[in-house]
Amino acid sequence: MPHAFLSGVRVVSLTTGIAGPIAGRLLASYGAEVFKVESRAGGLDAFRMYGADPDASPRFVEVNLNTRSVTLNLKKPRGIALLKELVARSDVVIENFRPGVLAALGLASEDLQAVKEDLVVIHMPGLGSTGPQARYGTWGPTLAAYSGLTYLWNHPRGDRPIGSQGVYPDYLAGILTPSIVLSALIARRRTGKGRVVDLAQVDLTAYALGTTLLEVLVNGHEPEPVGNTSAYAVPHDCYECAGDDRWCVIAVEDDEQWRALCSVIGRSELAEDERFLGVARLRNRDDVDALLSDWTRRHEAAEVMNLLQAAGVPAGVVQSGLDLVADTHLEARGFIETVQHPVLGAIRLAGSPLKFSSGAHEPLSSSPPLGADNAYVITEVLGYERAQLERWEEEEVVY
Amino acid sequence: MLDDVLVLDLTDLKGQFAGRVLNDLGMRVVKVEPPGGDPCRRMPPFKDDVPGDESSLRFAFLNGGKESITLDIARPEGRELLLDLSRHADVVLESFPPGYLASLDLGYDVLSDRNPSIVVASVTGFGQYGPHKDYLAPDIVAVAMGGLMYISGDPALPPTKPPETQAFFYGSLFAVYGVLLALFARETTGEGRHVDCSIQESIATQEHTIREAATSGEAIVRHGSQHRSVAPASVFACKDGYVFLFVLGARHWEALLELWTDHPSVLDAPELVDISRRRALAPTLNPLVEEFTRRFERRELTQLLQERGIPCLPVNTPREFLDEEQTRQRQLVGVVSSGALGDYLAPRFPALFDGQRPAPSGGPPRRGEHNERVYGQLLGLAPDALESLSVRRVI
Repeated sequence: MPHAFLSGVRVVSLTTGIAGPIAGRLLASYGAEVFKVESRAGGLDAFRMYGADPDASPRFVEVNLNTRSVTLNLKKPRGIALLKELVARSDVVIENFRPGVLAALGLASEDLQAVKEDLVVIHMPGLGSTGPQARYGTWGPTLAAYSGLTYLWNHPRGDRPIGSQGVYPDYLAGILTPSIVLSALIARRRTGKGRVVDLAQVDLTAYALGTTLLEVLVNGHEPEPVGNTSAYAVPHDCYECAGDDRWCVIAVEDDEQWRALCSVIGRSELAEDERFLGVARLRNRDDVDALLSDWTRRHEAAEVMNLLQAAGVPAGVVQSGLDLVADTHLEARGFIETVQHPVLGAIRLAGSPLKFSSGAHEPLSSSPPLGADNAYVITEVLGYERAQLERWEEEEVVY
Repeated sequence: MLDDVLVLDLTDLKGQFAGRVLNDLGMRVVKVEPPGGDPCRRMPPFKDDVPGDESSLRFAFLNGGKESITLDIARPEGRELLLDLSRHADVVLESFPPGYLASLDLGYDVLSDRNPSIVVASVTGFGQYGPHKDYLAPDIVAVAMGGLMYISGDPALPPTKPPETQAFFYGSLFAVYGVLLALFARETTGEGRHVDCSIQESIATQEHTIREAATSGEAIVRHGSQHRSVAPASVFACKDGYVFLFVLGARHWEALLELWTDHPSVLDAPELVDISRRRALAPTLNPLVEEFTRRFERRELTQLLQERGIPCLPVNTPREFLDEEQTRQRQLVGVVSSGALGDYLAPRFPALFDGQRPAPSGGPPRRGEHNERVYGQLLGLAPDALESLSVRRVI
């Protein structure tokens, strides 16, 4: 068995929803021991509610893979004390509660570092741990709205902002956090020092809009949504294909690709038409889109992609979830994996987009039922007798 | 904090955000450009809308803080220089078409043979192998093929891609994690690795698209702004713009009705305390809720709802976001001092470390600005040797 990437790293995860749990999943699936701490006393991950029972929420399962489940009642002093004991034996604490929640329990960063001096603590609040709106309630879509992302994620000249149904700010924070954790752990080996990180999900979303923000800050512009178009490429859009809600994107970045496209769609006469060469093509976007749509509507999306890509023209099917599941390329790469769940059975889901020349992620496994790792944590990690665990269970401390 | 980690960044637009993030995490990043310069230098938007080799704001954002050297790796002398540089490097980032570096005899096996501890990360649209590996993948193709576009936007309109090059950014963030995993493991084993990062797959990790389709046999479809399982959770109009209101729990719903004293009595139906019931009725509920939200200005409504614990934030333009008191107090924006662009304001790294916002990254480097420093420091090349390489267009 090869050495796991992160073996020996222990993480306490006080997380709910998507952003924090995904960070935990990513660390756990590469070999860190991630203790997801919740409580039946009003401290369950909000995503457990998307299921028939708290252990059978598919959405919860997907974002919490490979983690261990521990229940500690933080409304009781002994619960707090046990959490601190666990922190003392860990390297990292990740949390994405509303700012102030942990501090009110006596679990502020300095309280945590008091029990483990070189602890790495990552807070992942929506709007940041400080500032006048720090304590505002936020979920992914509200942060997308606040950051400017929802405003920009639209077709031009729409009558109201739409954006996406999704929670992109959560996914951004979910993937950046593990990298911050590891960079802090590598630095700790050299300096011996821990670190407290305050990663505002909204700041990260804005960082991913960096060029747009420079347009405001440097040029004084008011950036508008551009939809699927590009300032320097035509055609560059999403084209309707044969079938119901079937689309293919096409992006032509130079004249060579344009000529190849003309040949594929049987309009070779346009290849040397000056209206469509060089920057002139940018001015004749509507004509280009019309003649291209006329062709794409008569073909299946996959056919459009394959014909164009074979000719060296960038194109891609706007894939639905069903397309992804049937994607032969993803299958060849083994991207979609199967996880066994005691209630839900076999679940197929997205694996890791990373492949290494040696080693891989750990086998993906469902997070266990709520509290399933209590005995392991209380007796093996913290060293108490099993009888003591049973008493704490009766007292609703381990609960 | 990691300034002894040296990254050689050979990427194009696909992977430059990865180098930017590694630099923001404290590593030294040297950008290796072809002698003619990175094509990204000529990509809009430009400072004052004037195109020029040193005025691209896109280039500035993606490359701020990096050093720049020029090198033609396709020439034998250039290839040797890259091998020499990689002996001193910890990480090589690249986003060439799969197989290109190997065709120059610069594949991972060659680099690791010279430097077994090197970590090489490849960021490409579809990864290094598989039937689509050679498919061209500008950002819009990767985001479409990854499944995020299909579920985004108004169902009555074509699917909508996110702004800028989010697929490249998101893939780059996974590549950064791959680099850190390899660096972390290297501390124990002493050995580097190759990391193959697929941008399509990075996007496909989002939003449960694969699991939902595999489980239910049905694809998630576009719902506009409406959250898939929470309601009311959408964009709502106010007097002066829009808010995103997110009514998750029963207590949020009850608090909303309490504030909305003259709400229609149909909303008192006990079953509406249940989130799945509210979601099923969202097409009916949302217009009613919007009659209420339209009575307020967006800031006023945000404050009223937040005081009652109900998540709600304004839909901001980028400028409105920058002007928020929250953004200002947290000093997200800082001054970058740059020769090429002059001093300018730019967003800084999104995290505070021990309560401090990291210093702004440097400005964008001029093409080959650090040739003397990098080739001199790392390879001991004297100015006259560099001059000779330059005349021969190797650097």
